[in-house]
Amino acid sequence: MNGWIPAATVVLAGGLGTTLWGVSTGGLGRRVIAQNLSTALVCPGLLLLAQGYGRTSYVDLALLLALLGPVGTLVFARLLADDLAEENPAGWGPTWAAVTVGVVVVLVLCAVTGPGRAMVKLLIVGALLIGGNLLASRALSGGFPGVGRG
Amino acid sequence: MTPRVRLWLVCLGGGGLAALLVAACLRLPAFGGLWHPYGDRAVRTSLARHTANTVASVNFDQRAFDTMGEMTILFGAVLGCVVLLRQARDEHRDPPEPCEVVPPVRRYALIVLPVALVTGLYVIAHGQLSPGGGFQGGVVAATSLHLMYLGADYAALERIRPVEAYEVTDALSASAYLLLGLAGVLTGTAFLANTLLPYGTFNTLSSGGTVPLLNAAIGVEVACAVVVLLARFLDQAVEIEEAKGEMSAP
Amino acid sequence: MADAVIVVALLAVAVAATAAVVNRDPARQALVLAVLGTALAVLFTVLQAPDVGLSQLAVGSALTPLLIMLSVRKVRRRSAHGKDGTQ
Repeated sequence: MNGWIPAATVVLAGGLGTTLWGVSTGGLGRRVIAQNLSTALVCPGLLLLAQGYGRTSYVDLALLLALLGPVGTLVFARLLADDLAEENPAGWGPTWAAVTVGVVVVLVLCAVTGPGRAMVKLLIVGALLIGGNLLASRALSGGFPGVGRG
Repeated sequence: MTPRVRLWLVCLGGGGLAALLVAACLRLPAFGGLWHPYGDRAVRTSLARHTANTVASVNFDQRAFDTMGEMTILFGAVLGCVVLLRQARDEHRDPPEPCEVVPPVRRYALIVLPVALVTGLYVIAHGQLSPGGGFQGGVVAATSLHLMYLGADYAALERIRPVEAYEVTDALSASAYLLLGLAGVLTGTAFLANTLLPYGTFNTLSSGGTVPLLNAAIGVEVACAVVVLLARFLDQAVEIEEAKGEMSAP
Repeated sequence: MADAVIVVALLAVAVAATAAVVNRDPARQALVLAVLGTALAVLFTVLQAPDVGLSQLAVGSALTPLLIMLSVRKVRRRSAHGKDGTQ
């Protein structure tokens, strides 16, 4: 037993709780933002779990989520562009909050891991996660101005 | 059959299934216990054959025949989709219109596409060492190509994705799995038996005998199958139009 | 305490699956389904099944939403087109 699992529990409970509430109620714009935030908050949780179980190979899960989560949000941004055009949901406040959680978790884990290949992998996951989330938020707020029939 | 009889039939079947499930659950070993008869045997066998990831050893060695069945299911499902979603006689194709995408999204797609492709190949290649394998990596690699559609437009995706080539590769990799199995028969043991190659050094990329080869065949098969499947869906959603004036049919 | 994370994951999956059924619009269902996918991946991870978790992430985060949204788009275009045709 170590402190990483409780930390992961808190991050996952908070992240999944808020995003589930956001994604299942309210308007379409709010739901899409919540879907984007689910990636941003679950990915740090998975990193903490990998550290807690002491298995570096579990980092692959976080890597895949950091890569494909924003791609999923881009799918919604692109194929719902007409519906989202009226709302132009940005949700920059929650997005930056989620990014802060991601940055803190990645930096703490880097400090614990120490220099090496594992740290490089953590930094790649962090960069993909944060870049992907900011970009997905940008795409939601009018990233596809001219989607016709394409 | 009247709706009433049908309802009774559903209730009977559902009730029977529920009773059987409850009965089965009552006999299950307790959650999180220490007694794992199947797990212990699987781990022992996978260590004996120098495969670090026991799940890969179960999938591509101890139960490789089951995996062949799963591969056939995916192959058949994609084949069914190709037949169902083909262009019908009363439909015609309109060339897709270009899509306007803001520069940051376009840049992101162009940067992440190669990264995701390499990650997919990494997940396939390390299937016998760490969590992952042909299926997972194949899906990631296939998804990565479609960033071209998300970040640019359909015409750009079509340029980097000749569907015919993926269809042929899909069939070839499915046959490769079968041929690797037959090679076991020819060398005097059994279908899909892991006796063809030396087991190699534990925890290296070439360890596990035929496991990496079968894993790679599945990876290519899944990647091509997903690309072909998405191509049919995209064709229907973007290009294929029904003839005008015949739209009153439901 | 180690079981707390399992309870959280199980609850998240149950709530997300219920929400996916309760919502009736396919686009909104696809959004809930995407979140359900990540919740399932967490559940598989805490039950020490990372291979299955990876499969779930690979399929659930981008591929399933893309397939559903393309189908929604086709159906919508068809009904819009149908309205023009009858006018």
